[in-house]
Amino acid sequence: MAAAGAPLIELREVTKRFASFLAVDKLSFSVGEGEIVALLGRTGAGKSTVLNLVMGSIAPDSGSISVAGCDPSRQFKQLRGRIAVSFQTDRLLPWRTAVENAELGLLILNVPKDEARRRALAWLDRVKLRGAEHKYVHELSGGMRQRVSLARALAVDPSIIFLDESFSQLDHATARALRTDFKRIAAEFGKTCLFVTHRIEDAIEIADRALILTQGARIALVEHVTAATRADPAATAAMHERIAQVLGHEDADTLADAAE
Amino acid sequence: MTDDKAATLALPAPAALRPSALPKRGKFKMGQADALSTAAVVIVLLGAMQIASNFVPDYIMPPPATVLRATWDIVTADELHVLITLVRLFASVAFSMLLGIVIGGAMGMFGTIRPALRAVIVIDTGIPALSWMLLAVFWFRDPETRIFFILTVILVPFFALSIYDGIRALPRDLVDVVESFRPSRWQVLRFLVIPHVVPYVFLTMKSVIGYAIRMVVFAELVASASGIGSRMSLAQSTFRIDQVFAWTFLLVLLNIGLQTGVSMCERIALKWRPEVEVR
Ligand SMILES: Nc1ncnc2c1ncn2[C@@H]1O[C@H](COP(=O)(O)OP(=O)(O)O)[C@@H](O)[C@H]1O
Ligand SMILES: [Mg+2]
Repeated sequence: MAAAGAPLIELREVTKRFASFLAVDKLSFSVGEGEIVALLGRTGAGKSTVLNLVMGSIAPDSGSISVAGCDPSRQFKQLRGRIAVSFQTDRLLPWRTAVENAELGLLILNVPKDEARRRALAWLDRVKLRGAEHKYVHELSGGMRQRVSLARALAVDPSIIFLDESFSQLDHATARALRTDFKRIAAEFGKTCLFVTHRIEDAIEIADRALILTQGARIALVEHVTAATRADPAATAAMHERIAQVLGHEDADTLADAAE
Repeated sequence: MTDDKAATLALPAPAALRPSALPKRGKFKMGQADALSTAAVVIVLLGAMQIASNFVPDYIMPPPATVLRATWDIVTADELHVLITLVRLFASVAFSMLLGIVIGGAMGMFGTIRPALRAVIVIDTGIPALSWMLLAVFWFRDPETRIFFILTVILVPFFALSIYDGIRALPRDLVDVVESFRPSRWQVLRFLVIPHVVPYVFLTMKSVIGYAIRMVVFAELVASASGIGSRMSLAQSTFRIDQVFAWTFLLVLLNIGLQTGVSMCERIALKWRPEVEVR
C-alpha cells in the first residue's frame, strides 16, 4: 500500500496568511496515488487550512499546489468529480433522506437519476447503512450520519478523498468501527486519501504516512505506518509516544507564547 | 375614511415577522385544549351579544339569531362575491409570493443589485397601505388591476425580506460541502438554496395571510363594486348591521380555514423536520 505511484497531490512551499497571522508556513509534501496520508496536529495547527487549500476553496499566498495535475483554486471546476470531502460534522442536507444525501454528488455530476440512486444505495450498503436509506437526517445517529457523509463522498467515485476530522466527533467505539470500514473501502477501491485529524490513534490506524504538524502547519515529524507496526503493540505504543511528545512540545511552546 | 382606519392600515414592519432563528415546527396543532377554549370564547361572545341586544336597538347590536340568519342569507345569496374575493386573494398572494421570492433571491445572491433592491423594499414598507389604495384608484380604471396592484405592493416586501434573510442564514458548511462537488449556479439553487428557504416562505405565508384577507376586503371597499368588501360597504349603507356582523363572522372563519390549510401544506412540505416540543 505504501508503495506510491506518481504524486497525485503535491504542495511546494505553500504559504497562507490570514491578515498577519501565518496559518501555513512554507509547507511542502506530496501524496502518491493510492496513498493514505494523515495530517496530525493540535487544534489551530492549520490542518483544515491546508485541506481548504488543497480543495481549492481558498488560494495560497505563495507556493504551488497541484491536485491531479490541476491548480485546485484556479482550475476549480476541472476537479469536478475527481475529489470529494467529508468533514468533522456530517454536513448532510436535512431535507434529504440518507439516500438522497448520498446521491447528491452524483446528481451534481449529472449522473442520470436512476443510476445515481442505484449507486448511492450500493454505497450506503458498503458503509453498513442498509435499512436506513430512507430515513431523514434527524432520524439517524451521529455515527450513521457520518457514514452517510462518507457514502456521499465515495459515491462520486473520486480518485482523491479528503477527510477533515471525520471520525473526531464520534465516541471511540463508533470511530473505530468507522475507521476500519473506511480503511477497507479505501484499500479495496485504491483511493488516494489526505486526512486531517488531531487523534493520534486515527492516524496510526488508517494512514500509510503521518505528517505531524505544529503551529503554522510546520512538519515536525513524519511517521511511516505499516501493517507490521499496527500488528505490533509495542511498535504502535512507541510511535504513539513519539508523536505525543512532538505534540506535547508544541503545547509547551504555545503556553510560552501565551505567557509573553 | 377616518384617521384610525388609516392607522390600522399602516403596514406592520416586516421586521417583526422575521424569526431570529429558523422557526421550529412545534406541535401547534389545534389541540383539544385549544378547541375547547375557542368554543368557550365564542359562547361568551355570543352570550354578551345576546345580553347587549336586549338593551340596545337592533341597528346597534343585533341578537346572535339575527346574525346567524343573515349569515345564512349571505352564504346562499352572495357566494359569488365570496368566490370573487377568494380568487383575488389567491391570485395576488400567489403572485406576491413569486415576485417576493425572486426579489429576495436576487438580493441574497447578487451583491451588485442588493443595495438598490433593498432601498426599494425599505421605501415600500414605509408607504402606508392607504396611500397605495388611493393611488391605485387614480392610476387604474379596472378594479381587478387596482386590487391586484394594492395587494402585491403591500405583500411583496414581506416575502422578499424573509427570503433574503433565509439566504443569508444559509449555513456556510452546507454551502462548502455542496460546492466541493463543483455545482453549477442552478444546481446550488436547486439542491441548497430553494429547499433551505421553503420554511421561510411558509412562515411568511402564515403571518401574512390574515393581513392579506383584511387588505383585500378593504381594497374592495375602496376600489371595487364586487367582492366581500363591497358587500360590507353595501350592508353598512343600507343599515344592515346584522349583515356586517355576518360578513365579519365569515371573514374570521375564512382566516382560520386558510391558516389551517397553509399549516397543513407546511406539515407535508416540511416533513423532514424533527418534531420539536417547546416546553
Ligand atoms: N478564514 C480564516 N480567517 C482567519 N483566521 C483563520 C481562518 N481560518 C483559520 N484561521 C486561523 O488559522 C489557524 C489554523 O486554523 P485551522 O486550519 O482551522 O486549524 P486546525 O484545523 O488545525 O484546527 C487558527 O488559528 C485559525 O484561527
Ligand atoms: Mg480543523
